[in-house]
Amino acid sequence: MTDVTVAALPAPRSIWSLRFEKFRGHRLAMYSLVFLAVLTAICLMAWPLSQYLGIDPNKTNLLARFKAPNAQHWLGTDDLGRDVLIRLMYGGQVSIAVGLLATFLMTVLGVAVGVTAGFLGGRTDAVLMRLTDCMIALPLIPLLIVLGAVDLTKLGLSAASAGSPLFIFLRIVIIIALVDWTTMARIARAGAIQVRDRDYVRAATVAGAKRRYNVLVHVLPNISTPLIVAATLTVGRVILLESTLSFLGFGIVPPTPTWGNMLTNAQQLIISAPHLAVYPGLLIFATVMAVNFVGDGVRYAFDPRAENEGRSH
Amino acid sequence: MLRYTLSRLSQAILVTFVMSFLLFMLIGLMPGDPLENMLEGNPSLTPELMAQMRELYGLDQSVFARYWNWLMAALSGDLGYSSLYFRPVTDVLFPAMLQTVKLMGLTLLVSVPLALLLGSLAARKPNGLIDSVVGVFSFASISLPNFWVSLLLIILFSVKLGWLPASGTPLSAAPSALEQMRHMVLPVAVLAMFHVGPLVRYVRASMIETLSADFVRTARAKGLGEGSVMVRHALRNALIPMVTVLALSFGSLFSGALVVETIFGMLGMGKMIYDAIGNIDFNLALVGLLLATIVTLLANLLADLAYALLDPRITL
Amino acid sequence: MSNPLLEIDRLSVHIPMRGKGLLSSGIKLRAVDEVSLTMQRGETLAIVGESGSGKSTLGYVVAGLRQQTGGSLKITPSRPHQNGRKPVQIIFQDPFSALDPRMTVEDIIGEPLRLMGQDRGTRRGRVLEVLEQVGMPAEAAQRYPHQFSGGQRQRLAIARALIGDPELIVADEPLSALDVSIQSKILNLMSDIKERHGISYFFISHDFGVVRHLADRVAVLYLGRLMELAPADEIFANPAHPYTRALMDAVPRIGRGRRKRGQVLKGEIPTPLNPPSGCVFHTRCPRATAICSTERPLLLPLVSRPAQLAACHHKE
Ligand SMILES: Nc1ncnc2c1ncn2[C@@H]1O[C@H](COP(=O)(O)OP(=O)(O)OP(=O)(O)O)[C@@H](O)[C@H]1O
Ligand code: SF4
Ligand SMILES: [Mg+2]
Repeated sequence: MTDVTVAALPAPRSIWSLRFEKFRGHRLAMYSLVFLAVLTAICLMAWPLSQYLGIDPNKTNLLARFKAPNAQHWLGTDDLGRDVLIRLMYGGQVSIAVGLLATFLMTVLGVAVGVTAGFLGGRTDAVLMRLTDCMIALPLIPLLIVLGAVDLTKLGLSAASAGSPLFIFLRIVIIIALVDWTTMARIARAGAIQVRDRDYVRAATVAGAKRRYNVLVHVLPNISTPLIVAATLTVGRVILLESTLSFLGFGIVPPTPTWGNMLTNAQQLIISAPHLAVYPGLLIFATVMAVNFVGDGVRYAFDPRAENEGRSH
Repeated sequence: MLRYTLSRLSQAILVTFVMSFLLFMLIGLMPGDPLENMLEGNPSLTPELMAQMRELYGLDQSVFARYWNWLMAALSGDLGYSSLYFRPVTDVLFPAMLQTVKLMGLTLLVSVPLALLLGSLAARKPNGLIDSVVGVFSFASISLPNFWVSLLLIILFSVKLGWLPASGTPLSAAPSALEQMRHMVLPVAVLAMFHVGPLVRYVRASMIETLSADFVRTARAKGLGEGSVMVRHALRNALIPMVTVLALSFGSLFSGALVVETIFGMLGMGKMIYDAIGNIDFNLALVGLLLATIVTLLANLLADLAYALLDPRITL
Repeated sequence: MSNPLLEIDRLSVHIPMRGKGLLSSGIKLRAVDEVSLTMQRGETLAIVGESGSGKSTLGYVVAGLRQQTGGSLKITPSRPHQNGRKPVQIIFQDPFSALDPRMTVEDIIGEPLRLMGQDRGTRRGRVLEVLEQVGMPAEAAQRYPHQFSGGQRQRLAIARALIGDPELIVADEPLSALDVSIQSKILNLMSDIKERHGISYFFISHDFGVVRHLADRVAVLYLGRLMELAPADEIFANPAHPYTRALMDAVPRIGRGRRKRGQVLKGEIPTPLNPPSGCVFHTRCPRATAICSTERPLLLPLVSRPAQLAACHHKE
């Protein structure tokens, strides 16, 4: 009865090591990843560096406005006499953190909606998908501005906590996730519908699996590939949204620096100090571009059409 | 087709009402309350008087009752008073709409032909030189912050070179058409640049697909020139689904318009919404947002209908 | 025997059809219509019939994947209520969709035990045991499904069905997706298992050759209704129902390549949305008379061979 030749098969290589190898082959993506790692590391140095140089990045000093780069202020000072470099570094922390956190949150939200719609089907699906259709069409920036203007004390929060930097940070993460989960939902739904009708889900159901088990054990792992790809590409868009919102004054507000709100004032200083408008924008651009390249690499690495390379079939 | 149209239309109307209620609630969550903002700094106002006024304006009622009152008034044409401009909302709204229609219309006039041109050129030789340049360009346009590009263009063309004005609105009372156009160049350029990026990707993909389709190969075999194959067959085929793509891009185009109008100081819908929210002008913010939403929903509805009408594969 | 393993009594599955939009159209599809049959312990029942006759639907109800809309179904396990053990398991046709590509073979096969609450350590020994029973080496446990051929996967699916020690296995055309040379091997494996473990198969098939080899009794379905139910040797020797006869004449024997699915008789299969009156087969039956289109024939034993039941006014 043993016509089976499994023993001759190569030891299984994890799908992840194959993917990583392919990702490494995507040179732009690899460079971008290195760039992002270095950038993050530098941004995380903000506090130690400010200690070392003896700088308080939020302290205004009207006697030291528009200083040229010098030993203490490596990139000079801004219109209020604050150190540009340290503020850029803190701003980077905020941008990257918002990008990652909001993406995570909207993935959770989108997967919840999408998997529910796809797995339950029927009327639930129809209603949820109409909802997503409407959300997709809406103009995001105006919507985000209203959400950014919401007075949290009216929702029962104390004035002190509503105004704390942590809350302002969390609020921006939450509102971006709230308006931009639709792509994730669609991807998750499409995947859930596919997996729902696979025979392995049916077999598990016959063996006593409940809906929750099937979603956690079968559906989620099998739709993770398109979700990871989409999530990577989302990080860049979130960083852009956050910086736009902060630029417009409805995102993260001073004194906490962000790359977006550092440009709010630069607009008034275009004539006197145009260089102040260059650094933050350049950093946003470089970061988002790098994130998008990484996303491109992830997509390439996860592409199933190339997944069988090096396999013994 | 009629049934489909009616059912989609009724859905859109339902969504509009739901959205108007949600926006009403959201706007109500902005800081302060309408009366306080309107009468702020008036020393003759005692707390008792204030309470009376609140009752008069119905502000002591539940959010549902207030929404109902607002809705009834709005449906009868009374959109309220703008506390920011001290004028009825309608008076502020119409010039702003006109401005935005102008801005977005000009943008489309630039971006659509440009996308078609660049997309077709790129599709002719995938991975060729033009394709790579177009690829980098569209990649950049989804990675660049539009407000920063606006600032850079102002620095370059207005401050350094002095070629173009830095504001989108002429200062003189009766500007000539040429003068108006000069002021529109930078805003339109920025908006178009960001609109073209995703569009060109789409045109390229659908052109490559149609160029490899059978009927195009037949046309080539019949000895039709390359140019006429591109335009008569491939381009025409790519245009049909493009209606949908354009309609779906309406939301992001409007978002871009808000940013551009704000930076270039143009009193369009976007800047109006921005100012209204920034200055807690409840009535104006609500109407502006609602209008933007309705127009977007309408654009999508039209796209769906047009698609259903044009695509032979969908029978209704 | 007084205590059958499976009793199905006038079981129906009527599927309400969705109209346009969210509303039901009021039309019902009769996928399975008033089917009654019983299965004894250790007995293998083959279900045959053309595509769309309701075989899978009936099998899904038996396996608990679907709810019947009418009638009843009773399974009486010999050892009831043992820590979550399921007396029924299932094997499918497509071995590629049957195994989760993200799980190792050990996890796939052990899943029924996992669902019974056993931990990985407890499961392992049993996994290796069933792997051996289906003729797979122990090394297979750490591999992923994509490393196996169709036949090997079907063995793994059988192993998963076996591991929870079931009494009835619903097998929905387990051979039809396999190469002919593999088919006979899997068939041998299945009859081996049947003999060794005393398992019953609810065996859905298009292939009379396979049915003859494995089945103790045969049920013939047409448009959701039971046409004939008889011991295998009797039905092959003397098919009583015109439909059974037509099926046997039309179907090639095993070894002649894959079955072409679908219609094997002259004329269109009527739609189960609106089945013919009286005997549902009368539109295609060579013996049909006036009574056939008005009165529904009952499933009754033949006078000469009482173990053989057929639903026909003119049965042989
Ligand atoms: N979920 C469903 N929704 C609508 N119709 C269904 C559904 N499930 C089954 N049907 C219909 O019920 C009828 C019986 O289908 P079923 O799959 O049981 O047939 P079958 O005998 O297994 O056919 P095959 O040999 O092709 O597998 C078919 O007409 C099918 O279209
Ligand atoms: S009842 Fe009449 S139509 Fe039906 S199978 Fe018998 S002879 Fe044919
Ligand atoms: Mg079937």
